[in-house]
Amino acid sequence: MSEYVIETKGLTVYYGRHRGIENVDLQVEKGEVFGFLGPNGAGKTTMERTLLDIIRPSAGEALLFGNLDSRKDGVEARQRIGYLPGELSLYADMTASAYFKMYHALQGGNDTYWQTLADRLGLDSSRKIRNLSRGNKQKVGIVAAFMNKPELLILDEPTGGLDPLVQQTVIELVREAREGGATVFFSSHILPEVQAVCDRVGIIREGQLVAVKRVEELIRQQFQRVQFTFGTIPPADAFVLDGVTELRRDGNVVMLEIRENLNAVLTTAVAYTVTNIDIEAVSLEDIFLAYYGKGEGHA
Amino acid sequence: MLRLFLHEMRVRRNGIIGWGIGLMLLPVVYIGMYPEFASLMEDMQELMDLAIYQAMGMNMGTFEAYMASSTTNMIPIVMSVYAVINGTGTLAGEEEDGRLELIVALPIPRWQIVTVKAAAMALSLFLIILVVSAGSAAALIAIEGKVKTDIAVTPLDLALAVISMWPLVTSLALISLFLGTITPRRRIASMIATVIIVVSYLGNNLAGMVESLELVQTFSLFHYFDATEHGLVEGQAAGDVLLLTAVMLISFGLAIVFFQQRDITVGTWPWTKAKMT
Repeated sequence: MSEYVIETKGLTVYYGRHRGIENVDLQVEKGEVFGFLGPNGAGKTTMERTLLDIIRPSAGEALLFGNLDSRKDGVEARQRIGYLPGELSLYADMTASAYFKMYHALQGGNDTYWQTLADRLGLDSSRKIRNLSRGNKQKVGIVAAFMNKPELLILDEPTGGLDPLVQQTVIELVREAREGGATVFFSSHILPEVQAVCDRVGIIREGQLVAVKRVEELIRQQFQRVQFTFGTIPPADAFVLDGVTELRRDGNVVMLEIRENLNAVLTTAVAYTVTNIDIEAVSLEDIFLAYYGKGEGHA
Repeated sequence: MLRLFLHEMRVRRNGIIGWGIGLMLLPVVYIGMYPEFASLMEDMQELMDLAIYQAMGMNMGTFEAYMASSTTNMIPIVMSVYAVINGTGTLAGEEEDGRLELIVALPIPRWQIVTVKAAAMALSLFLIILVVSAGSAAALIAIEGKVKTDIAVTPLDLALAVISMWPLVTSLALISLFLGTITPRRRIASMIATVIIVVSYLGNNLAGMVESLELVQTFSLFHYFDATEHGLVEGQAAGDVLLLTAVMLISFGLAIVFFQQRDITVGTWPWTKAKMT
């Protein structure tokens, strides 16, 4: 019997001719927070829905909690799973508390942990869901996912629409769940969040799992994009340095991608009279796309 | 299961109240107004003989026929709108707006989800019909002394006649539910269900006027519900009720079978799922 909480073997989902995920082999260990990352449309949501038997595999299999087939034993498996979908749609006419009670009963629970969670997130559960802001609706989804203290949490962009303080609370909840022995399958685009909470990450691109790495390795792959405006135009080879790529040049404006040697870049730049610096925010997807490049197969 | 059922009924509560009261007003107004223009009804018989009225199954030559026209003939057609809205909205609609995803992610077998939703839908239709039935009977009681004394239909007959339309409208709703499980979008399921209902209704009435088309009637669900004065007085034939019950069960069974196989949230035709080796 496997000790993995999630184990997929050749998991493939096709919608007619359209690709969902292809041949995904993945193992997630008990008690780890696993970040599942990739560009939009890469197959993250398909993967999560397949684990929950919302979508059925075209080939391969997904085992949960060691020996439960996501399809054949889906009901038993889902009893132990809390799920927050990326696109949350709730029953608008219900109050949040009525929703929690119903959801709780349907999952077979009977305590009032949802109230504690709602308080921690600052959610007024007496209000009708239709009257809640997007962020508060997201809180409803988070409470519903966590309230039965599940063994496995599948969270798709859990902090989307939340203010920074609440985002921090959600990260704390994830950490606490891990400390309590739960496993978390966590999809996010926000790199600091991934760094803060995930033990390992899997990167999916065009339906294929192209890498599974520890977060420390991922952090080493970070880079920055910096645009300099110079008083004096630097020569073409001015920034030929290890870990530095000149992405664009337009007269006295030069855009660099810097992975290392930041000090050398700054020293060189100063020599040509820097009149302006713009540092472009680099998304996690940028890092992945830059690192793996088009056409590269499994890493 | 009970909790999900109660939730489903709660979701339908406003629809039951709105449709129940709205539909109840139809027979209440029509039957309630009858004493005002009873004397004109006999003159209208020639008008009712026109093909257009026959195609709509209308007859107002007698008070009983008038009551049938304003209850058992008219209400199933209006209720079929609710049946389509509710039938296609129950699985296909909830799938399309995303609410079904969280329900399917719960530890509940899919057959139970279909069963509970179908039961809630059937009960909501029954409750609406019950309200209409009570309104119809009340309207008849209110005018009984103002029309001829030898009315062949008692308020109870009328109430039961209205209730007897439940198998028909529930069949239409369950067919719509089933269509929602095999089509990629609610809109497509609604279109197909609407075409079935319109063709079935008009086909039944038109075929009834042309002897050579009688066979066509057997394919119409409306053929198995006697919406005429005869139906009010004598009630529905047991065979017809059984047949409609069979249609209900088959539609329900097919909905379970196809919903079990369906990829939720994907919105594709069921046969486009490629099975790879």
